Amino acid sequence: MKLIVCLDDKNGMAFNHRRQSRDRVVLERIQKLAEGACLRMSPYSAKLFPESSALASPDFLQQAKDGDFCFIELEDGSACEERVQRVIVFRWNRVYPADLHFGIDLGAWHRISAEEFPGSSHEKITMEVYQK
Amino acid sequence: MNKKWAAFLLALLLSFALLTGCESIPLSVSVDMGQASTPAPTLYSQDDAQITLADIPEYDGEAYIAIHGNTPYFTPEEMTTTSFETYSSLDALGRCGLAYANVGQDLMPTEERGSIGQVKPTGWHTVKYDCVDGKYLYNRCHLIGFQLTGENANEENLITGTRYLNIEGMLPFENMVADYVKETDNHVLYRVTPLFAGDNLLASGVLLEGYSVEDAGEGVCFCVYAYNVQPGVEIDYATGDSALAEDSQADMQAGEAADYVLNTNTMKFHLPTCSSVEDISDAARENYHVARDALISQGYDPCKRCNP
Repeated sequence: MKLIVCLDDKNGMAFNHRRQSRDRVVLERIQKLAEGACLRMSPYSAKLFPESSALASPDFLQQAKDGDFCFIELEDGSACEERVQRVIVFRWNRVYPADLHFGIDLGAWHRISAEEFPGSSHEKITMEVYQK
Repeated sequence: MNKKWAAFLLALLLSFALLTGCESIPLSVSVDMGQASTPAPTLYSQDDAQITLADIPEYDGEAYIAIHGNTPYFTPEEMTTTSFETYSSLDALGRCGLAYANVGQDLMPTEERGSIGQVKPTGWHTVKYDCVDGKYLYNRCHLIGFQLTGENANEENLITGTRYLNIEGMLPFENMVADYVKETDNHVLYRVTPLFAGDNLLASGVLLEGYSVEDAGEGVCFCVYAYNVQPGVEIDYATGDSALAEDSQADMQAGEAADYVLNTNTMKFHLPTCSSVEDISDAARENYHVARDALISQGYDPCKRCNP
């Protein structure tokens, strides 16, 4: 499973059951990353994407198979860490309110790539790829 | 779609949302005013809604806390897709009151921010401390952030706030609202109410409320209180006078050795009591009893949450 997550400067993900932020450019990148593969997410997240581009299900993390991409927003990822082969992080490079933080400690992972790009409403977004 | 139908559909959507969405928005809130010796200040009031400082817990290390179930006090009648911004007149002591806007893209600034140094909000002092990010204890804090409405040197929109309030307490919410409006072209009702105890010139904190209109709070919904405090500094809220706190925060300055936790991945250092410490992996965590300056000279930055 390949996990996709958006994080602020404090590894925050969401506040009051709502995502911290969004960006059209990131959404396009996620679709491109998952081209030719299965992109899974919650029904909440699926509203951000064209209907045909994602498989939405409340238990999408349980349903995910090896090689699938899973986009998490209101799930901290810790419950599925054992099954995750790769983590793709989009860093907003800003601070937002947070009461949900990413539950996987990437300190023990290897960062294999990092790329900065401008978003539509964010000056600089950093995409990082981590591998076990 | 004509305006009448749009208004009808919005009201219908909102009614549904109030029953099922952002918890539920109460139409009436009444709170015991608490201590009788000094009049409890009104935090926010409309016809039948009141909250006071007596309802706010003491600062406990978090820049903001959710109150009222993180549900703002907006009423269905306030929902509109027309942008607006309003600012209260200064009171007899020259203090700001609530600032209220329906933030849309049409209100957002199109020009660079100008100077605001000419505005001196109540309680203002120009004072510096080494333990404060950027040194200056006080910032001129926009109640409604410049990035939201482009309102800059308006004395009815500026309070004296600590750096901590400005950066850790208020900016994150402004960022969230700004991003949402830019990405969706929707509107967010956004209200900021400074809370003063008695005749204090410095606000104790601010109530921040936000609610996205077109999607009935699905995108943005919060109700928080942000503390006008600065870790390591003691503040007299009556005047805005301040002094270095006598506790460990102050002792850690000027090269005195103290206990720190290092994150060798992020190159940040923390107080052992910082909530971020528990997130550090064993591989990246190192404990030291060392001078603060020595860590900085080695390339470490102080954590912005605990301000070591």
